[in-house]
Amino acid sequence: MTSQIHTGQTIIDPPEDGHFRNGAGSNGLAPSPTTLSLHLTINGRDHALEIEPRVTLLDALRDRLHLTGTKKGCDQGQCGACTVHVDGERVLACLTLAAQVEGREITTIEGLAGEDGTLNAVQAAFLEHDAFQCGYCTPGQIMSAVACIREGHAGSDEEIREYMAGNLCRCGAYPNIVAAVRQAAQELRS
Amino acid sequence: MTVHDMKHAASDSARLEAVGGRLSRVDGPAKITGAAKYALEQQLEGLTHAVLVGATIAAGKVSAIDSRAAETAPGVLAVLTPDTIMELKGASDWLGNPSPQPTYNPLAREVTYSGQHIAAVVAETFEQAVAAAALVKVWYDETPAIVDLSDGKAGDGIPIDAMTKEWGDAEAAFAAAPVRICAAYNTPREFQAAMEPHGLIARWEGDALTIWEPSQWLDGMARTYAEWFGVPFENVRLVSPYIGGGFGSKALALAHSAVAAAAAKMLGRPVKLVLNRPQNFTSYGGRAATRQTVAIGADRDGRIQSIVHRGVNETAVDGMWVEPLGSVTSIMYATPNFSSKQNVVRVNTVVPGAKRAPGENPSAFGIECAIDELAHELGIDPLEMRLINYAEQDPHAKKAWSTRQLREAFAAGAEAFGWAKRSPQPRSMRDGRQLIGWGMAAGTYPVRRAHGEAVVKLLADGSVVVESSSIDMGQGTYTILAQTAAETLGVPVENVSVKLGDSHFARAGVTGGSRLAGVMTGAVYKAAGQALDELIGLALSDPRSPFQKLQANTLQVRDGRIASSRGEGPELSIAEFMAAVGREQIEAKGDTLPASTTAEERYANYTTIAKSIPHTEGDWSRHSWCAHFVEVRVDEDFGTVRVSRVVSALDSGRLYNPKLAESQWKGGIIMGIGQALLEEGIVDRRHGRIVNGNFADYMLPTNADIPDIQTISVGIPDPHSSALGGKGVGELAIVGIAPAIANAVFHATGKRVRDLPITLEKLI
Repeated sequence: MTSQIHTGQTIIDPPEDGHFRNGAGSNGLAPSPTTLSLHLTINGRDHALEIEPRVTLLDALRDRLHLTGTKKGCDQGQCGACTVHVDGERVLACLTLAAQVEGREITTIEGLAGEDGTLNAVQAAFLEHDAFQCGYCTPGQIMSAVACIREGHAGSDEEIREYMAGNLCRCGAYPNIVAAVRQAAQELRS
Repeated sequence: MTVHDMKHAASDSARLEAVGGRLSRVDGPAKITGAAKYALEQQLEGLTHAVLVGATIAAGKVSAIDSRAAETAPGVLAVLTPDTIMELKGASDWLGNPSPQPTYNPLAREVTYSGQHIAAVVAETFEQAVAAAALVKVWYDETPAIVDLSDGKAGDGIPIDAMTKEWGDAEAAFAAAPVRICAAYNTPREFQAAMEPHGLIARWEGDALTIWEPSQWLDGMARTYAEWFGVPFENVRLVSPYIGGGFGSKALALAHSAVAAAAAKMLGRPVKLVLNRPQNFTSYGGRAATRQTVAIGADRDGRIQSIVHRGVNETAVDGMWVEPLGSVTSIMYATPNFSSKQNVVRVNTVVPGAKRAPGENPSAFGIECAIDELAHELGIDPLEMRLINYAEQDPHAKKAWSTRQLREAFAAGAEAFGWAKRSPQPRSMRDGRQLIGWGMAAGTYPVRRAHGEAVVKLLADGSVVVESSSIDMGQGTYTILAQTAAETLGVPVENVSVKLGDSHFARAGVTGGSRLAGVMTGAVYKAAGQALDELIGLALSDPRSPFQKLQANTLQVRDGRIASSRGEGPELSIAEFMAAVGREQIEAKGDTLPASTTAEERYANYTTIAKSIPHTEGDWSRHSWCAHFVEVRVDEDFGTVRVSRVVSALDSGRLYNPKLAESQWKGGIIMGIGQALLEEGIVDRRHGRIVNGNFADYMLPTNADIPDIQTISVGIPDPHSSALGGKGVGELAIVGIAPAIANAVFHATGKRVRDLPITLEKLI
């Protein structure tokens, strides 16, 4: 179901018959030809949406569900700011239609810390190592870093640099990002 | 408005929290959890979405627009064209000069650059607006465009006399010098490329306008909106709690800003307009392309006798931008004879703008490569060459440096890098098929100063609130102002909330030119000092105060507790004291302006740049300084260049928070690596269009491009530069990186590349 691109993020392919399943319309009426009724599971919670099929996961999160932690940097799959997890894999939300991820587990930056606010090890390491400045690429960096460590691609600084290369940071926090990912990976291993 | 509350263990050392301590960012927790709401993330009832249509020609007229299909598309509320958008008034420029035109139309009939906005579609949803914008049909009468500086039609341009700097007889001294070098150095059009796109949300309520927009200058932009729409300045509120990077690009209200605000007024509904990524390459100016020639004449011992410098930068057909190319050339080295002149050439581009260290950055590329060429010519080590010609005072202003730790930077950087082990001959160091090159260069940036103001409030619960309409785009403003207020008042930093990014707070000038930290720490220091004076005054004099009967001259506040400095009498927390005297709050507004300043002068101070204080004011010439040492590895077969090591020693004076300053320095170095090896706006010569206006084709450095970077602070407090002794941080470190890399590439390969970026086809 997924195609690998160069730095680890995945693009979700459409179902094999090419058709996304349309849900029943709201209010018991016939489904609108221009909107879909979707149920998305985001950070463990169900969200119902009535949206056009062309709405991306990124715009659904930011504009419809007001989960604005996921950032729009380029809307073209080039910067990584919109990285979220779908079934645990890192995915570019700007290149994913919301309709493609119904029935899957979506995790965004807002769902990374524990219920009690305990930071994920990667989040804590980003703060400690000052691995960001403006903070705009940061949610995507952190989501990529969590997946990078889980994928087993944080074994060395070289490997971290390579597998974090799909997330641009114009403030230039890269050396601090490498330090943060290195530390978080060590903590998670031990 | 944003509040940052610092929560950390009380055991954290006071050293960490004080000014100069390595406190982690107080806005960090919001940024790493996704809780930080950037301006464009404001959620409003009834929000509509606008999408722009850009010109597909670079010069000519819009002869017709057919918007019928777009108007009838689902969800569309309006299609705005040059004929249907409301008329705006002309606004003054950033110096406060009135507009030459009484009216302003942000949608163009006369096209002067590709991508210029000519129409906008407003719809209920973003998707509907995007789809309908594609249905707008435009016809043009196209005329020939001047696509860039190398266009045959471009000509020599317009002399900018204000840029001329001359002393001695530079031409004659150059002609007479026993050793001479002369070369041309070029930099391409470069872009700020902040990760957060430009855009805004505009909402009118009667004659009151609220704008949520990423902004480096709330008060300046509010002034522009007020003038466009003919409403009082106080009616415009700009909100910009976090900025996703600016690098100089987000200081002005631009054409797209006017379109969104006008659309909101016309529709009577809030409008959100965000530039898509390609539009971020054409809707505002990046760094202008530049050309320089640098001629240096020296004696055989390497002493410079003369520097002759000529520069050109591109500007727009209908706008002026001067990138001061002689700024570093004229101060870095001692020379008895000097001449620098500059022209600008009009081409069909959006008006170029400020990008990190405008002027100093390309200027250093010229002079710092040229000095390396001279060193090679004479067989003198490039570091020794710089020491031979060390400027003991400002050669142009003829004034003493306020502080100049450049000699210390050379020494510390060379030591940490291992420069003494450099083999001088090009192509003499290698690792298998990789040629290794070691290069160095110096950098500098002036200390830009201005007056600022801030409000500091002591609340009944003992907490402290700092308010300013200045901003934090990643430099650490929230953090250093919390540290400044905490230290000045004697309270734990966790008790301080800093509120920024709302033009209704105390006014602030532009955040640019690396001046914010010096200006704002000074203003907060002053306001907090006034609040402390009032607190202590009250404690000594109020009849309800438990301290009144002490008959003391003063009291001290430590860790948020008030006590006699002699250790006698009561000790109260600020909250207990406020309760005792029945006060809700103590508020102080501190500014660094002279007391005689009029209201008009205050307004001009915050809404224009006309009141900036020259860096050579009075007896001193004030600058930050740095020295970069770089190792590159060049693949002998493929010509690929990798930066494998960077050591930079920097003099930014006193650092208010070294942890955050080091991050900014590294960021500047990394942007400089991009400039040296990757970044170039490529213009299609047929259509005058930027063809690589996206993040895949305009290449920014990625994590995999960046090696370990070591930064060393060699600064000392500079009392002439700011209240607390700091100089500029944000722009300094990018200055000199590109020439250090170019010099390292020459050392590795023996090839001198004088056109940035240094791409492989220039090396093989």
